[in-house]
Amino acid sequence: MQLVRNWFNKISLDRIQLELMNTAYGSGYASLSRLDPRGLLIWYLFFAIVPWFLNSYIVLAGMCLFVIITTVLSRVTPFIILVLCLGLIGQVGWLFIISLFFGGDISSALPLLKLTLKLSIVSLASITVFSGMDPEKISDGLLALGVPAAFSFSLSYGYRILPVLFEEFRNVLLSYRLRGKAPERHGVLYWRLGAYYLKLLVYAFFPLMLATAKRSRTTVEALETRGFSYGMNNPAAKKLKLSHLKLQRRDVLFLGGSALYVALLFWTSATLN
Amino acid sequence: MNRKTLYTLTSSQKMMIFVLSMSLYGLSNMFTELIPEFRLGPIELSVEYFAFIPLTLCMLFHPLYAAVGAALGEVIFGELMLGQFGGLGELEKFLTFSFAMYVAGRMVRNPQNRLQVGTAAITGVIIHQLCSSLVDIGKVWIGVEEFEAVPGLAQSVVIVEGVGFLNDVLFSGILFALLPTLYLVPRLYGKIEPLLGIKPRDKSTKYEAAGVISPKLVLSGIALALIAFGAESLSETDWNFGEWDSGLADRLGSGAIWLSIAAAAVVAIIVLLILRAKRTRSIQTGDESENLPYA
Repeated sequence: MQLVRNWFNKISLDRIQLELMNTAYGSGYASLSRLDPRGLLIWYLFFAIVPWFLNSYIVLAGMCLFVIITTVLSRVTPFIILVLCLGLIGQVGWLFIISLFFGGDISSALPLLKLTLKLSIVSLASITVFSGMDPEKISDGLLALGVPAAFSFSLSYGYRILPVLFEEFRNVLLSYRLRGKAPERHGVLYWRLGAYYLKLLVYAFFPLMLATAKRSRTTVEALETRGFSYGMNNPAAKKLKLSHLKLQRRDVLFLGGSALYVALLFWTSATLN
Repeated sequence: MNRKTLYTLTSSQKMMIFVLSMSLYGLSNMFTELIPEFRLGPIELSVEYFAFIPLTLCMLFHPLYAAVGAALGEVIFGELMLGQFGGLGELEKFLTFSFAMYVAGRMVRNPQNRLQVGTAAITGVIIHQLCSSLVDIGKVWIGVEEFEAVPGLAQSVVIVEGVGFLNDVLFSGILFALLPTLYLVPRLYGKIEPLLGIKPRDKSTKYEAAGVISPKLVLSGIALALIAFGAESLSETDWNFGEWDSGLADRLGSGAIWLSIAAAAVVAIIVLLILRAKRTRSIQTGDESENLPYA
């Protein structure tokens, strides 16, 4: 099957690694990433919660347009947009088709369109904030908003450790492939090959678990040497760490502009009804 | 009667378990997000997740830290880094996943007993999938306000979620939770614990139950249940919500909208003030949370 073969060709580990690195580290120059992370997180909270309780198409469409603009401003890689679109279609498309099956008609598409709008506002807002911003900044912002230190540490640790982990995983997987034997025939729909790779993927986690255990011990030892647990429970140390966060004029402008725009949307929909 | 040894960990060991579980499960989540799914109509044979990693770690180590770490790893690697962070929807995933993994870890008394390990693994998957299916159904309920009015929507949601549940439990659950866990737990037992400087647990090991079931945890559990109940009842009255809103708008004109915006602003200011007060209070009381584990 052509499609499956294409998938296997495209998904080489190299390519995935490249895309992930792009996603994780490609930002930082976008105009939105210069804003204060606390303000952006609060902005995000609004766009993640409020759409669920709205019913007006005008407000929803306006909000959607707004987050599309901010997403463009935050310079997201096309790969992410593709994943997002596929997810949306998968989530809502099947609901529509099956409701046709149960005697619905084209009119059932309209409420589903609303659902799609809501879902896309929420995901685009999260893309704007979380992939447009430097991981260090997000983690500082979360810390400032009172999220436990272990969580905000894990965020920046995750971004840092990813290349190392990935490299190690690749080596393990390659050594398994060298020692193993791929199936001679690929079977219907390449199922033999798929099953073989999945099995390798699972087996590869056995050595990886041991290696990661060692690494996490080293990490925590290094952390404790630098006084992580003491510093994070000490308000003075935390304040010092977060002292570089300042609300500037562009933050106020951005937040104020967003609030004004949303208020305008509500007003428009109220006058039109 | 033999004396039971209490399974105590230093805070560094807890952090080690947390970091280990987070990075491993996070990495695996990245792959499962990218593996294409095989679709036959609405029935999809997809690799939902590599549940065997958190399951194995929960059975070998203290389940609470392993479970929370894995759930966080999923959020960071699988969602944030791939740019698919769903925001508050992830909160629900986080809670159900860590709860299910924790329960599975607690079910195992002896990691070398294969029957126990297998039962716990499949139970963990079932708990998680059941919770998330129910939440998904509720989500469509809230999102589509004329839920009852759309013909066939209610049935289709239940069918999609039911099929998804069965697929996840039978396909992912057996292939990627049950079998690998049965393979890994006996092999890793006694090998991975010394790497973190932890004694392998045996039959007589007992968790520090008092530390886990603290009043704080019980209180937050009750609060979460209340929130869930609130969301549920909100979904019940959802279609009245719109009518009530338009009624107000009729009576007060567009002023109603300003009223609600002002109300939102007041709420936001109050929240900010509370946060501020809390911060100054915590600075005053100093390091009262000194001996709390930070995981």
